[in-house]
Amino acid sequence: MRITPAEVAALYLSIKVALLSVVMMFPVGLLVGWLLAKRTFPGKAFLNTLVMCPLVLPPIVSGYLLLILLGKHGLIGGFIYQTFGIEIVFSQIAVVIAVSIISFPLLVRGIVTGMESVPLELENAARTLGASPIKVFFTITLPLAYRGVIGGTILGFSKSLGEFGATIMVAGNIPGKTQTMALAIFSAVHLGEDASVYRLVFISTIVAFVALWLTERFTLR
Amino acid sequence: MADSTKIRLNFRKNLGSFTLAVDCTLKKKVSAFLGVSGSGKSTLLNCVSGTLAPDEGEIAFGDETLYESTSKINLPPEKRRFGYVFQEGYLFPHLTVAQNIRYGQPNPRTFSAAIDVLEISELLQRYPKELSGGQRQRVAIARAIAMEPRMLLMDEPLAALDSALKDRIIPYLHHVKDAFEIPILYVTHAFSEAMALADEAFLIADGVIIANGEPHQLLTAPSAMPIAQLTGVENILFLPVTLSDKALGLTSLKIGNQNLVIPYTEVEVGEIVPIAIRAEDIVISLEPNLPISARNILRGTIQYLDVRSERTWLSILVEWHHLAVKITHEARDQMQLRQNLEVYCVIKASAISRLWD
Repeated sequence: MRITPAEVAALYLSIKVALLSVVMMFPVGLLVGWLLAKRTFPGKAFLNTLVMCPLVLPPIVSGYLLLILLGKHGLIGGFIYQTFGIEIVFSQIAVVIAVSIISFPLLVRGIVTGMESVPLELENAARTLGASPIKVFFTITLPLAYRGVIGGTILGFSKSLGEFGATIMVAGNIPGKTQTMALAIFSAVHLGEDASVYRLVFISTIVAFVALWLTERFTLR
Repeated sequence: MADSTKIRLNFRKNLGSFTLAVDCTLKKKVSAFLGVSGSGKSTLLNCVSGTLAPDEGEIAFGDETLYESTSKINLPPEKRRFGYVFQEGYLFPHLTVAQNIRYGQPNPRTFSAAIDVLEISELLQRYPKELSGGQRQRVAIARAIAMEPRMLLMDEPLAALDSALKDRIIPYLHHVKDAFEIPILYVTHAFSEAMALADEAFLIADGVIIANGEPHQLLTAPSAMPIAQLTGVENILFLPVTLSDKALGLTSLKIGNQNLVIPYTEVEVGEIVPIAIRAEDIVISLEPNLPISARNILRGTIQYLDVRSERTWLSILVEWHHLAVKITHEARDQMQLRQNLEVYCVIKASAISRLWD
């Protein structure tokens, strides 16, 4: 039972994409999570709904909408193609975008839960002690919300690792280029390569298990 | 403090169906706002601290405007430099005691002064969850004063503590009052705390100030019936000590030409002691010489009777002190109590409590 170079490439791409997505989305998630947990503003319900949508939409639908947006003639894709000459669709950038959109609700959910658990009174106490809202955020809110923040981050990362529907819509299933673990399993099943399927399923399970186990270790006491 | 910075509070804040509307000027070193829970005390402090914006009006600290609705001034809390001590302490749970106190970036001198005054040097490396209730409150007070605030806001800082602990913390508050030259705004429902610390007091009910003045004036005025309802203690007297005997366990006070015996308390002869007696703890008798164990039988005259739904209230003039007494309608009828009748007020020594001063 030897792992093939194509399988290594898929595993490597999955991890790379998931890491990139988490690193990119983490600051955005903090901002959006803070807005949703701590602020009241017009359009808050709308923002929340927008962010959470990918959680309830079939990923294939999210992927299709992204395809329309990012395609050569799409609103965003068209602009980028005309200005930079870059085609997003069916590239690794598309994988990262698809995976980010799908995992974002999980990231934000964790951050919001964590931040909502920090009493406003503690933050007010910090303000009366001379701390600016930004200092309060980094010294009180964030450290006290860390369980939710770490939980959301690891959950988002795990989701990114296994994303399938949206990825295949916008990025296709190009071995060595846009074929992630989930897509590789899909192809292997189609082609009847049972041994490959077992190996990939085994690896996926281990990775997901370790990620969840780490979450528990960091967030439970 | 040389006649202190005047603090001007004139604002209105709606919270749902509740409205807080205050208009007052704080002139003394320690001002107490006294009222039951829900009277608007905490809302008032939040508006002063800047963590809650009033709807309209003005808040000024000396010459400096902190809030002004028409010109849309609202200084954020971090720029006001008002130390705030909360009922629940609100220490930062992820920081040690020392880190909590350093959060307000005190200079080393005020840092150690705060630690000395509150006697918490042993606790510096502990986390809040490793502290007792009393220790937590001392740390909260130290944290608020270490930042060298221009004013100290205290929201029921003792309410979460049991009474034995309160008595131990009050001396610390006195230390703070003496050691730091800043005005203190103290909010409480416990009238004894207001008596213990405040130079002026404001009674607040349903969001408005209903009376103000020096605490003992305010609380002994015969017109101050609302105070009785607020505080649960109807009779506050300031009486001189004539005898204090530890062996007998008694302290004797003079009320005009009569004596009032209270449980032993550590005082000097001649010292004036504030005491509290609840209206329902006074028994009325028509006879002076009763074979009973109660130590105090004070002669007085019924000034007026006030018949209310459940009970009859009597105002009895003992020497020049008014005592409020609560009895049943039946007792009033059977004894044929009426105005100007001479009666005797029977009070158990143990029903009289000494107040802090």
